[in-house]
Amino acid sequence: MKTIARANQTKEPLLRKVIHNNLEEQIRQLTDELRIRKRQLKQGVDREKLGADREKLGADREKLAEETFRQQTDELKIRKGELKQGVNREKLGADREKQGADREKLAEEQIYIQTKAMESTADGIFIIDATKPDFLIIYANPAFYSLTGYTKNEVIGKNYFLLHGFDVNMRVAEEIKQSLRQGKSFNGEMLNSKKNGEKFSSSLRIAPVRDTNGAITHYVGSKTDTTLMKQRDLELEEQREELLHVTRVGKLAEFVSSLAHEISQPLTAILAYAQAAQRMFADREPKLQEILQYIISDDQRAAEVIRRLRALLKKNKPTFESLDINVVINDTVALIMTHITVRNKVIKFELDKDLPRIQGDRIQLQQVLLNLISNSLEAMDERSDSRELLIRTSRKDNDTIMVDVTDSGCGISAENMNKLFFHFFTSKVDGLGMGLSISRSIVEDHGGHLEAKNNPDHGATFYFTLPVNMKNNQE
Amino acid sequence: MILKKNKVYILDDDESVCRAIKILLTTFDFEAETFNSAKSFFDTVSNDDPGCLLLDIHMPEFDGWAVQKRIMDSGSKRPVIFISAENTDIIENRVLKTGAVGFFQKPINYQKLVNLINTASEDTYGMVK
Repeated sequence: MKTIARANQTKEPLLRKVIHNNLEEQIRQLTDELRIRKRQLKQGVDREKLGADREKLGADREKLAEETFRQQTDELKIRKGELKQGVNREKLGADREKQGADREKLAEEQIYIQTKAMESTADGIFIIDATKPDFLIIYANPAFYSLTGYTKNEVIGKNYFLLHGFDVNMRVAEEIKQSLRQGKSFNGEMLNSKKNGEKFSSSLRIAPVRDTNGAITHYVGSKTDTTLMKQRDLELEEQREELLHVTRVGKLAEFVSSLAHEISQPLTAILAYAQAAQRMFADREPKLQEILQYIISDDQRAAEVIRRLRALLKKNKPTFESLDINVVINDTVALIMTHITVRNKVIKFELDKDLPRIQGDRIQLQQVLLNLISNSLEAMDERSDSRELLIRTSRKDNDTIMVDVTDSGCGISAENMNKLFFHFFTSKVDGLGMGLSISRSIVEDHGGHLEAKNNPDHGATFYFTLPVNMKNNQE
Repeated sequence: MILKKNKVYILDDDESVCRAIKILLTTFDFEAETFNSAKSFFDTVSNDDPGCLLLDIHMPEFDGWAVQKRIMDSGSKRPVIFISAENTDIIENRVLKTGAVGFFQKPINYQKLVNLINTASEDTYGMVK
């Protein structure tokens, strides 16, 4: 309104001019306004854009944060893993340490046990330094001291061979040295002397001890006192000899007895013929009578020789004593155990432990058992698959015990079964045919019976009975 | 008066011994019959046939002990005299337990044997020579 008022106040061109100016002003104002509006609009767009940007940025930042978080988490995980590993490693270390300790403990224990064992064994054990020439002893166990009678001071650092005793066979000592020098073991039997001069039989084993490179550093020796063993062997040998002697004498006696019987028969006949002739020519033919008398005298002389021979080899009267048959069996088997083992046979026992004692001659019963066992072994030689021999004792009844010897051998043929116990009957190439007849007569002298039978499967059983020794059992 | 001769059976596995004893006993007026095995004796002689038996112990398979047992088990009263080349206390004791009337070791003292046969025959069969 103001503009118009002003234009009105000018002259006409002026007015026009005013109007024009006014219009121009209005356009400028409008343009400005538009520009502003435009700018404002742009700003709005920008702002929007900014918002979007900001949004994007936010998302990015979030993403970043997430990423970072993840990374951190991963890192943490790794750290944790590392930490755990560390812990494990530590634990492993501890375990290893413990294992080490255990191992050490075990080793210690082993050493302890080994030392104790060395100290406890009855064998004399000693160690010689092999790096020096004089066979110096560096260790000996207590058994070695008690075996030799020397003290520790007299042993350690001394030449082993000086402790052998003066009268030891020098050849044996040289043999041992020779073996050791060649890096070989020595194994042998010898007679040694103790410090006090007492002799003892011993078995010695010495072996070289090598280090990791194979060089010999020591010799280890083991000495066993075999005196008792030797003595026992000797006793067994003596018993075996005695039994064999008795058996031989028994066989000879039986042989002579059989021979005497065979000769007695014709002597009996000759005597009877001569006496018959004498009677037929009674009071006649004095020359013939004289001859017949000579025949009778010589016949009687021959008979007398045989009678004396018989008396000489007469079976010794059994010396009866109270016996445990199981002990007799064990003693007898001990005498022929080597024989059994060498033949690759096995002997089994089924011994009734509650058997009453019997009255018997120990040697004679051993003779019977030995004969039955030997027969069984020979019967089994013919069959390679039969190895087992069984000895059984049992109570047959109140007054009788029974001993069975069962083999798994070839058995007895029906033909031989009847003749088994006859003199001179044998199925063996080198047999005399005496064993079983003697055995039977021994068992019968003891008041028992000896019989044989074939087993249902294979092999044979010889069994004998013996009367129980009532008197001794009541005591 | 003719008397019936005493009968004697001889059982021994040795033929010559049997024959010799038979010949000798014949000179003592016995009627003797010989057998070399238990089987032939039992097959030939019945329990009721009277006569003394001279019995050898040592024979294969069926020996003197078995023969005597069979005779005793059958209830026969036949007097049995054992003869054997062997002589031990054990045999003599055993002989006595079997119920036999006597035992002689070979070579035999015949006078004693003859006397015993006569005594045993009279005791058992009541016969006299």
